[in-house]
Amino acid sequence: MNRVLTIEHLSKTYPNGVRALHGVSLRIPTGMFGLLGPNGAGKSTLMRIISTLQEPDAGRVTLGDLDVLREKDRVRRLLGYLPQEFGVYPRLSAQAMLSHLATLKGIPPGELKGTVEVLLRQTNLWDDRKRRLDTFSGGMKQRFGIAQALIGDPKLIIVDEPTAGLDPTERLRFHNLLSQIGENIVVILSTHIVEDVSDLCSRMAIISQGEVLLTGDPAGAIERLDGRIWSRVVERSELADYEHDHHVISTRLSGGRTVIHVYADERPAGGFERVRTELTDVYFSTLKRAGAAAA
Amino acid sequence: MLAEILRFELRCQLRQPVFLLSGAFFFLMTFLAVTTDAVVIGGSIGNVDRNAPFVILRLLLVTSIIGVFATTAFVANSVLRDHDTGMQELFFSTPIRKRDYVIGRFAGAFLVALAVFVPVVLGVLLGSLMPWLEPERVGPFRAGPYLQALAIFVVPNLLFMGGIQFALATLTRSLVATYAGVIGMFVAYGVAGSLLSDIENERLAAMLDPFGGGALDIATRYWTVAERNTMLLPLEGDLLANRLVVLALAVLAFVFAYARFSLTVSDRRGGRRWPWRRGRETTDVNEPAASEAAETAGSVLPALPAVSPHPVLAISAFRQFLRQTRMEIAGVVRSTGFLVILAFGVLNMIGNSFTVDSIFGTSVHPVTHLMVNILQGAFLLVVLVIVTFYGGELVWRERTVRVHEVIDALPVPDWVLWGAKVAALAVVVGLMLATAILTGIGIQAARGYYAFEIGLYLRGMLLLTGIPFVLAAVLAVFLQVVTNNRHLGFLLMIVYFISGPVLSAWDFNHNLYQYGSAPGAPYSDMNGFGHFVEPRIWFSLYWAFAAGMLAVIVHLLWVRGVAGSPRDRLRLARQRFTRPVGAVLAMLALGFIGTGSYIFYNTNVLNEYIPGDVREERQARYEQQYKRYEGIAQPKITALYADVDIHPERRAVDIRGRYSLRNKTATPVDELHLSVNPQATVRSLDAPGLRPRLDDGTLGYRIYDLDAPLAPGDSLELSFEVAIENPGFVNHGSNTSVVRNGTFFHNVTYFPRIGYARRAELNDPNDRRRHGLAAIQRMPSIDDAAARENHYITSESDWIDFETVVSTSPDQIALAPGYLQREWTEDGRRYFHYKMDAPILGLVAWLSADWEVARDRWNDVAIEIYHHRTHRYNVDRMIDAVKKSLDYLTSEFAPYQHRQLRIVEFPRYRGFAQSLPNTIPYSESIGFIARLDEDDDEAIDYVFYVTAHEVAHQWWAHQVVGGNVQGATVLTETMSQYSALMVMEREYGREQMRRFLQYELDGYLSARGGELIEELPLLLVENQGYIHYRKGSLVMYALRDHVGEEALNAALKRYVEAVRFQEPPYTYSREFLSFVREAVPPEMESIVEDLFETITLYDNRLVAATREPGPDGTWVVNLEVESRKFRADGEGVETEVPVDDWIDIAVFGAREPGASPDGKLLVLEKRKIDAAETVFELVVNEEPRRAGIDPFTKLIDRNPDNNVATVSAASGS
Repeated sequence: MNRVLTIEHLSKTYPNGVRALHGVSLRIPTGMFGLLGPNGAGKSTLMRIISTLQEPDAGRVTLGDLDVLREKDRVRRLLGYLPQEFGVYPRLSAQAMLSHLATLKGIPPGELKGTVEVLLRQTNLWDDRKRRLDTFSGGMKQRFGIAQALIGDPKLIIVDEPTAGLDPTERLRFHNLLSQIGENIVVILSTHIVEDVSDLCSRMAIISQGEVLLTGDPAGAIERLDGRIWSRVVERSELADYEHDHHVISTRLSGGRTVIHVYADERPAGGFERVRTELTDVYFSTLKRAGAAAA
Repeated sequence: MLAEILRFELRCQLRQPVFLLSGAFFFLMTFLAVTTDAVVIGGSIGNVDRNAPFVILRLLLVTSIIGVFATTAFVANSVLRDHDTGMQELFFSTPIRKRDYVIGRFAGAFLVALAVFVPVVLGVLLGSLMPWLEPERVGPFRAGPYLQALAIFVVPNLLFMGGIQFALATLTRSLVATYAGVIGMFVAYGVAGSLLSDIENERLAAMLDPFGGGALDIATRYWTVAERNTMLLPLEGDLLANRLVVLALAVLAFVFAYARFSLTVSDRRGGRRWPWRRGRETTDVNEPAASEAAETAGSVLPALPAVSPHPVLAISAFRQFLRQTRMEIAGVVRSTGFLVILAFGVLNMIGNSFTVDSIFGTSVHPVTHLMVNILQGAFLLVVLVIVTFYGGELVWRERTVRVHEVIDALPVPDWVLWGAKVAALAVVVGLMLATAILTGIGIQAARGYYAFEIGLYLRGMLLLTGIPFVLAAVLAVFLQVVTNNRHLGFLLMIVYFISGPVLSAWDFNHNLYQYGSAPGAPYSDMNGFGHFVEPRIWFSLYWAFAAGMLAVIVHLLWVRGVAGSPRDRLRLARQRFTRPVGAVLAMLALGFIGTGSYIFYNTNVLNEYIPGDVREERQARYEQQYKRYEGIAQPKITALYADVDIHPERRAVDIRGRYSLRNKTATPVDELHLSVNPQATVRSLDAPGLRPRLDDGTLGYRIYDLDAPLAPGDSLELSFEVAIENPGFVNHGSNTSVVRNGTFFHNVTYFPRIGYARRAELNDPNDRRRHGLAAIQRMPSIDDAAARENHYITSESDWIDFETVVSTSPDQIALAPGYLQREWTEDGRRYFHYKMDAPILGLVAWLSADWEVARDRWNDVAIEIYHHRTHRYNVDRMIDAVKKSLDYLTSEFAPYQHRQLRIVEFPRYRGFAQSLPNTIPYSESIGFIARLDEDDDEAIDYVFYVTAHEVAHQWWAHQVVGGNVQGATVLTETMSQYSALMVMEREYGREQMRRFLQYELDGYLSARGGELIEELPLLLVENQGYIHYRKGSLVMYALRDHVGEEALNAALKRYVEAVRFQEPPYTYSREFLSFVREAVPPEMESIVEDLFETITLYDNRLVAATREPGPDGTWVVNLEVESRKFRADGEGVETEVPVDDWIDIAVFGAREPGASPDGKLLVLEKRKIDAAETVFELVVNEEPRRAGIDPFTKLIDRNPDNNVATVSAASGS
């Protein structure tokens, strides 16, 4: 069964004039797909549209032969969705809530208990199943989110900014959880954290201001830039000069000093060193280029 | 710093929508209350100026109570804002002083709460300037009442509630808990209020009322119209004490809260955290071993059951629906607010149950329909609040807790999501009503009443409350979904609640356009819900279809995921408008139109729909067109014969009647004027030589020419056929006199009446002004000798011969005045032939029901009580009262003219007893279920009283009847009161009379302020109940007290002998008074003027009483009394007159059982008092404890409480 998710010319403008999506087209095959972009890029709008929760102004979304915008109920039967932000009914234990959601998802009564147990064990929440959800820590809550997204063996999983705010241990644990999800379904991971994509995804897209800037596989993207990223430590006062003279793609602090990365085909003059290209460089150079094009 | 915090607080609060909303709401309410009769705050304005000080006081008091809910929002917000928004860390880390912070916050919140009253004052001020108000009803502007209301009520009440809320919010750190506390206080307030509603506890109740309402009531209850228009509130006595206590409590609450307030960060966000849970949370984070195990073990997911990729099956959707509904119900039922409000309803119901149907402080058996009744009253507001609030709560629940994106992305049909919410609300309504029923059963059991009628409970719930509440729930959800704005949804719901009464007040009475409404269905033990069920069901169906259509719109507009713009929502709605949805909508619309048409056919085609303004306009037109015929020479009825066929099962009556008419005037009569009830069908109407000239069907007036004028003294036979039909059902004003069980109608209601009927005129002076009618003359002047040619019962006849044959269904008995001549069955119907053996007044009635009959005898008089099967409680008491009344009346006044006396129960749709010749129809609601225990000698036996009063009418009305002039009802009502009082006093003694007369005094004084036209002295009473009953009792009791029963009754006996069964001209109150005067000793002559001829009030007061031991174990008591006397005019304006009266002086000893609560009576003497202040010395044989002037309030005294006081030891002894 071919379950490729196809997005064609999707546009969405909010009543306040914010243009969240502008002619977005993507083809997302099975496997983990990273949707990378800064805050406010339109990621969540895109995720919600795919998850049947929002209406676009124009465009088409299909999952295999399903029209996502029309056949909402069929899509929802195949969907597992972890929203960027989600709460819980008050005074409810993890087990009760998961069992409630499983019923709503259509798990027959006979299989309810087993399903819930498997999922809670899977996400390592079994020992805490009796605890009230509103007392969960951030990481536990996100794991619960994945547990509910996995109910009913979904063919399309959408996780929106799942690692924002998690500490490194929890993030690692969460990555492990995501990596167990089978390769033969579509998983879309929306994030603004480059490591999420580089750690987990075989394919990716970079999106900013409602437009797709880049699609492809992370390794290929890195390869295209390989050998053209240079770095050096500069004084804060010199930063403006460097930005004027060079194609600076990112600036960061390291041990209290400013480190810049520049893009150049050959080593620029003045103490630059070649660095190993990482996905971060791809990301920033893509954004930078789009910003320059826009300006 | 304080100023800065205060400024900041004001800025924050004034911008809140709750401030703007409540301000707008209050402005609107008060503006409408002043300018229209549609909105009523704190009791109707009546005949008082629309901006009278009294109205302003009451209006501001009531808004200060309602305003508590706004205050809570302000105060709680000021306490909790930093905490809820997580700003407290920022604030508390500044070098802010606690004093500045707390006081600044509280003062800010208080000032904002006070600011809400600016619109209230503006509403009244602007309202009273509106041009459409009648200038007669607007008084001059005065600042005094506003300032007084603000200072006495608004500010202390806001400080009090603010202080308590401040303490609650500080302690609980929770908005819900604060609101719950406030509601709890209201519950306690309501319960205490109804527990103490007894006349004897009213002062205690007033002291306990934290809002000062009780104290205001007591201070103003006897204000007349004139006083209500001009007086300011005297800040003294109970009111002052109450206000000071409230202020002290406010300070205490604030100090307490201040002490508990701490400028440190509390750790309560995200619910409680128990220590062991916190522990587990930490271990969870540091648990790498377990998580690594999971990582390795779970590298491949075990196979999980998959969801079928096909659309949901009906069965599984239904399972989802049940599951989600359960979740929604839990969401409501487990919340504190729900439980608190439910508790409020239960307590409210228990509170109301103490006073339901009680008369003279005597309660009734807690029969089931009364429980259903109080349940309806107690739970109406509660359920509406729940439905409105939780309707919003549920619609927004997922979005509030931010779980909506998870839920909405699940493969659940849209209808499951909204349907579960509507279903949950319906279940919650059901749960509340079930609780209410259990409460009702509990109340019954607690009073030892075990005849629970579960079926009646269920029918009552479903018919009267359940369906309308569920309809309201659907509307609440609909408004929330359509507006997609919680506050707007609430606001529109409130608009809906108010719209019903407002539309009705504006005479838009039809239930077809008032969502969820249906004609009322009063219950009677005799008639059950009777014919009221059918319209109720049709209207319920009609509105259920409407609710169904609303639900379809909810389905189309239901927000799933992100709300989107209106355009998006419409696009989605079009998508959702599938063929099945369209089919459902079409079916619902078809049902709606179908039931609506059927209802319309019944209410507007089969019957005439007459809204209030049309009815009023017709009344005015009737007067304008036909009043000119009033008093023209017409023949009088001398005999009435009628064949009456009652068909209870179809609520129809066929009447074939015959009048003998005689021209008793001195001129020939050549035209006949008849008023006919437009509700009845006149099938035929004929007399020899009768030619119709005018037939006004709408107003019911007919004029016939007579071929040959009827010469003086000549007679004419008029025969007619009239039918009462009651086809289908009506929208309002359903006929309750012809019903399935308990028919009771009068000849004067349905038979053609001779001449113009004055009783059909509009009588409210304001309505009359609006229609350009002259001020009403309620009765002809006492000096109008011509008017005394008719008696006041009817002008159509003097004394008539009466005979009737009445038939009914075989299971019922049919009754009419007269003696049963024959009873037979024919064609499956039961026939009764009644005939009177002597002429009677021309007011008769027919009754039919399935009664049980109790029989007894008094001498040669047969006593019969026709009562409903289950109403046996007081039948013996009635028989006893009949016998004792007959004893007294025959020995004191004159023989009884009949050989039979029947009391006949009729359904509680009407609540009176009425004496017809030898037959006394007696309402189900006034005595048949009164609860009079043999061992409770405190309870006033009003069954005995009412019975005695009605029996007395056989003399005072059916023997002695006054001419149709002022004062006529003294001869019937006041004298029946007097007779009943005397019979009752013989049975129950003076102490019970004292308590009875307390109610009479209170009833009289309270009703004066509600007088619409003019209060008159008793002698000139114009059929005003509070004068001829209430004041009449007091007057006759005082008269008896002055002249003695024997002398008084001897005079009355002479009077009765002189006037009984007289032909015109009829007697009148002046003639009556001339006989009374004969009994009054010369030195007391002035009381006749005080009691009968003027409105006289006293203010008697015991200033001081001291005692010292006298010789031989006696005591000398010194009494210093103050006595003032006033004369009032018709508006209640008083002038002081010198006192010159014989007034009781009394000294009481130790308390003993059976004596008055003041103690054993040692001395009771009438002393002449002719100065404002007098000192008396009395010698008594026992230790004096209390003493007083007019201790039993025989005189009309507005402050009876200060008449008696404790005797203190004389100084120096």
